[in-house]
Amino acid sequence: MTDETLSYEQARTELAGVIERLETGGSSLEESLALWERGELLADICQRWLDGARERIEAARAARSED
Amino acid sequence: MTQPEPRSTAEEPWPVRVVSQKLGAWVAKLGWVWVDGQVAQISRRPGSSVVFLTLRDPSADLSLTVTAHRDVLDAGAPELAEGARVTLHAKPEFYPARGSLSLRADEIRQVGLGELLARLERLKKLLAAEGLFARERKRRLPFLPNRIGLLTGRASAAERDVLMNTRRRWPAVDFRVINVPVQGPTAVPQIIDALKVLDNDESVDVIVIARGGGSVEDLLPFSDEALCRAVSGARTPVVSAIGHETDAPLLDYVADLRASTPTDAAKRIVPDLAEERQLIESARRRLDRTVLALLDRETHRIEAWRSRPSLARPELLIEQRAADVAQLRDRAVRSLEHRVRRADDDLRHTVARLRALSPKSTLQRGYAIVQRADGHVVRAADEVKTDDLLRVRLAEGELSATVTEAPT
Repeated sequence: MTDETLSYEQARTELAGVIERLETGGSSLEESLALWERGELLADICQRWLDGARERIEAARAARSED
Repeated sequence: MTQPEPRSTAEEPWPVRVVSQKLGAWVAKLGWVWVDGQVAQISRRPGSSVVFLTLRDPSADLSLTVTAHRDVLDAGAPELAEGARVTLHAKPEFYPARGSLSLRADEIRQVGLGELLARLERLKKLLAAEGLFARERKRRLPFLPNRIGLLTGRASAAERDVLMNTRRRWPAVDFRVINVPVQGPTAVPQIIDALKVLDNDESVDVIVIARGGGSVEDLLPFSDEALCRAVSGARTPVVSAIGHETDAPLLDYVADLRASTPTDAAKRIVPDLAEERQLIESARRRLDRTVLALLDRETHRIEAWRSRPSLARPELLIEQRAADVAQLRDRAVRSLEHRVRRADDDLRHTVARLRALSPKSTLQRGYAIVQRADGHVVRAADEVKTDDLLRVRLAEGELSATVTEAPT
């Protein structure tokens, strides 16, 4: 599954896992950096979903008030 | 009278009088019968002892003429008026002079209200036993009808009540109204015909039969058996809206929905637009609140995660390891220093031991060490040759010597 098709919940669940692994430690530096980059990407995906949802709500509200 | 031929032909047709006489004989064969019907018309001609009645079938558009002697009427139904239900004993008679047919009654009984109600009760039991009132036969009304068929009296209060209240609740509602007589002898057949018209109209998806309040007799058409069966057989859902709250004609039982009044019918056939709008509006508000609360909650969650050191300060990842490296380097240096110090000590000990083994003290006692030019310490005379250059180490200093004579 590519990152673009991740649902909000999938991204969020994976993000939680990434943070847990980062905080538990025990990974190599390279792995840790990769994990951090993955975490940032997942957080961005989550954010995009939430922002997109808000935009859709705003758009629907605007359309509704035009009725 | 001449005896007619058994068959009539084009060449030998029967005269009118023969046909008339035969008809009279046929009609007379029915004999005396008891007839139930409704008086559609009554004419008491002044100066005539014969009274003419038009007797209708209550359920169908059929009628017969009845003649009776005034005495017969006075004896059995002195108050007889149009619309009354009668049971009469009569014999069909053919009047040759005009070729008309009528019933001659020798007994007329007006059916009283009590008897009418008793008949209704019997009919109700019969229809119930047939399952016409069964709940599972009731068809559901559409939530929002496409078109409402309305059967009601022309310009009646019932018509106005249904139209006005329905439009008030749902302004865009569409009606097809058929005005029918709602009482009297012609009511039932006309209502049944109009019901068929509306039932066959594809655009009509609910039918309302409405009539305002009236006497028990006035409402009798709405308990008519033929009407009840027609309503039961209709494909379109039928709403009964007859009279007041307390009236319960049989139509109420057989209809798919019983409205207590025409106004009540309006409430049952269409939803209230304002109410529905409000429901939708409140649903929308709840929807908004719920989804926004969800978004806020999720946004906070993501923000909280992003602000955790593991994500917010990736440099910690490096700093941690840089510290590890520095510490290791430190340890390495320390451990190296330690080893150097130990090597130093070893060296000193070795030197001391070296010093202890030094030949110097032996030289002090007067011995000398003789070495060849190549450094070899000479221990035997045959180790040198004549003219070899020797080094002689003494306790204090050294000197050079030459071999003058070596053994041969």
